[in-house]
Amino acid sequence: MSVSSSFVRPTTRPDEIHRLLTDVERYNPSNTVLLEDYLARQCANPDSTSNHDLMANLALLKLYQFNPEMLDLDVIRRILAKALISAIPADFNLCLYLLTDEVCKDASIAKLLALRESLERAQFVKFWRDMYDPEDEEEESVVDGIAGFDNGLRKLILAEITATYQKIPLRDVQDMVNLDEEAVLRLAKENGWTVDGPVISLPLKAEVKASVISESVKFEQLTKMLSAANDI
Amino acid sequence: MYQVTYEVEEFAGNIDVVADSYANVDEIEDVGDLDDEELLMQAQAGVQSIPEQVRSFLGHLYANLQSDKQRDLAYNYEIQFPKLSDKYYAKSSWPEPQYVAALVNDDGLFLILYRELYYRHIYSRLHPSLETRFRSFENYCDLFNHILNSDGPTDLELPNQWLWDIVDEFIYQFQSFCTHRSRLNKRSEEEIALLKENSQVWSTYSVLNVLYSLIQKSNIGEQLRAQQQGADAAKVAGEFGARPLYKMLGYFSIVGLVRVHCMLGDYTLALQTLENVELGNARALYTRVMACHVSVYYYVGFAYLMMGRYADATQAFVHILTFVSRTRQYHQRQQVDAASKKAEQMYALLAVAVSLSPVRVDENIHAYLREKYGDQQHRIQRGGEEALDVISELYLFACPKFITPNPPNYDAAEVAEPQAYQLRTFLREARLQLVVPTLRSFLKLYTTMGIDRLSSFLEMEPAELKNQLMVYKQRCRQVKWVGGSDLLSGELVPSTDLDFALQMDMIFIAESRVGRRYADWFIRNANKVHDLVVTLENRQDAVAANAGKPLAEAEVVA
Repeated sequence: MSVSSSFVRPTTRPDEIHRLLTDVERYNPSNTVLLEDYLARQCANPDSTSNHDLMANLALLKLYQFNPEMLDLDVIRRILAKALISAIPADFNLCLYLLTDEVCKDASIAKLLALRESLERAQFVKFWRDMYDPEDEEEESVVDGIAGFDNGLRKLILAEITATYQKIPLRDVQDMVNLDEEAVLRLAKENGWTVDGPVISLPLKAEVKASVISESVKFEQLTKMLSAANDI
Repeated sequence: MYQVTYEVEEFAGNIDVVADSYANVDEIEDVGDLDDEELLMQAQAGVQSIPEQVRSFLGHLYANLQSDKQRDLAYNYEIQFPKLSDKYYAKSSWPEPQYVAALVNDDGLFLILYRELYYRHIYSRLHPSLETRFRSFENYCDLFNHILNSDGPTDLELPNQWLWDIVDEFIYQFQSFCTHRSRLNKRSEEEIALLKENSQVWSTYSVLNVLYSLIQKSNIGEQLRAQQQGADAAKVAGEFGARPLYKMLGYFSIVGLVRVHCMLGDYTLALQTLENVELGNARALYTRVMACHVSVYYYVGFAYLMMGRYADATQAFVHILTFVSRTRQYHQRQQVDAASKKAEQMYALLAVAVSLSPVRVDENIHAYLREKYGDQQHRIQRGGEEALDVISELYLFACPKFITPNPPNYDAAEVAEPQAYQLRTFLREARLQLVVPTLRSFLKLYTTMGIDRLSSFLEMEPAELKNQLMVYKQRCRQVKWVGGSDLLSGELVPSTDLDFALQMDMIFIAESRVGRRYADWFIRNANKVHDLVVTLENRQDAVAANAGKPLAEAEVVA
């Protein structure tokens, strides 16, 4: 099973940032710029396995929390957009806890919250529709400047699909990841799925079968009895 | 380091300014028209008005502090002080510090400690005015300046309970102040003017500064790390950290920081702060003071709950609730009262955690939970809007008080409401979890089932049902702590006994059942019988030993 990696130091985190996070330096407002630059580097990196450092971004949100005069809504927007495509679903809420009602009223941030809601509810079709809504004028700005946003998201959605389905219509996958037939067939090839006409068969992650969990007795539970037996 | 000492000094300077600026307000009225002689008479009258028993108590407290008698101090502090408070000062404050000064040779340090007790008593029984809040803060600055900014370590030593109470109260008063200033509609114009002028009093930076300074001064982080690695903690303790006072204050400050981080909504930092504190170690320092022990687990459990790690939250709450219920009789009444109040809150949070992510808990805890919150748990599991209402109700009863770290905009009508905001954010996550019990109750009944059938049961569109099934899958995986000193780490584990897979429009369901747990039952009852036998044997021995003695005495033993 994979380990929740949001709290482990990513390999891409520089020493300078690491020191800052493990020290009282994290409260020093003059470090805001450092963390903002670091966020910009995270956003520019399209590799979804190494481009998110939740702890650093939370530290930045904390500096804004303590020094509201420095608060930059566009930075917050990007932090939330990064958390949205994080492989750990809890990341997004951890960022939210450090914000306020005031910040959530901002149009782009409110939109991100709505997008997140569709994602959480696995309403992927609705998600893509809202995301690229032609009527929405601010459409571009919500995930502007986040390299690899769409592909990061597709990865998450595919993970959900493979966890749930063993057989699924090709058409449904297309809608859920917002790609055409050709692209999905390419994905199927990359991941080794079997395509049988209009149906995709996904490999079994873990077999679903009934089992009985039996009780296990730890040695510590028996210490008292054994010592009593010894006295006899 | 972040110029800690510099900050503290500067900060003490500011306090003087603060003290001056508002000192004028009250003292002019009191002192203005009196001459020296009248003042003296007033002081004498003030001293005279202190009851004999209280005077003698203060004398003993002073003498015991001077001669460093820790046991006697603990008795004075833990037993006598609350008793006298009940008897003489149930509805008023303790004697004015200026009158007490005459009884203790005007000893500066003693008066600082006395004032800490004096203000704490006002906070717990009366309504502290804004001025009292300022004065109390000023007194804390004096106290921490004495401890942190002397040339060498101070000679002062205090019982652990007292030290814990100082740190805990300091944070409580900070929280209380933040709440007080944010209730704009209840503040008078003078008060708002005073608040505006003194924005640095009880500021978040100053409070954090004190806690971090105590941690650094005592090298407590290094000491705990050395201990964990089996090295000698004394070697890394340093001049200050070797003293019990600094060591314990540093340690309690770590626990205090966890609380402050939770009050600010920073749950990751709260758990990160505890990285050197070994949870689950029966000899850890936090076990020395019951309130501290309870506090650690309450905030750890709460942080986990907010992070959506319900299984970890459950584990933390069950651990401490079991401890509280088993050790009730060994603690002072006052400590038990405080712990019971927190325990009630934790039962409420536990009810939420267990309903959102069902798991088997300790039998006694389970029985109490069912008796007290059985109805609420049932309503949560039924889902829908009502479930959210029940969760909110339990949550608001049991959550810590949240604060905004900065003063509100005193000229605006609207103020931030961190309490409501945190709850809403928590519900975003919890709400999704409610999918699980509903779907589970239907899936349990079949081994295969068509989507159309289930969607007609649930009165839901088939497309939406497929989405919900994916949500179910996701919600049944949880990050769970698997030991180690890093409380944030964990593994992704399945948290349900019911799994399924979708093949086109057909659901294939499999349930894993937990076998009956015989061993646990037999072990517990075997131990019970053993205890009974030992008790009976002891009595028999006692009776035999007393056989030759007069009857009356033997009977007493039996």
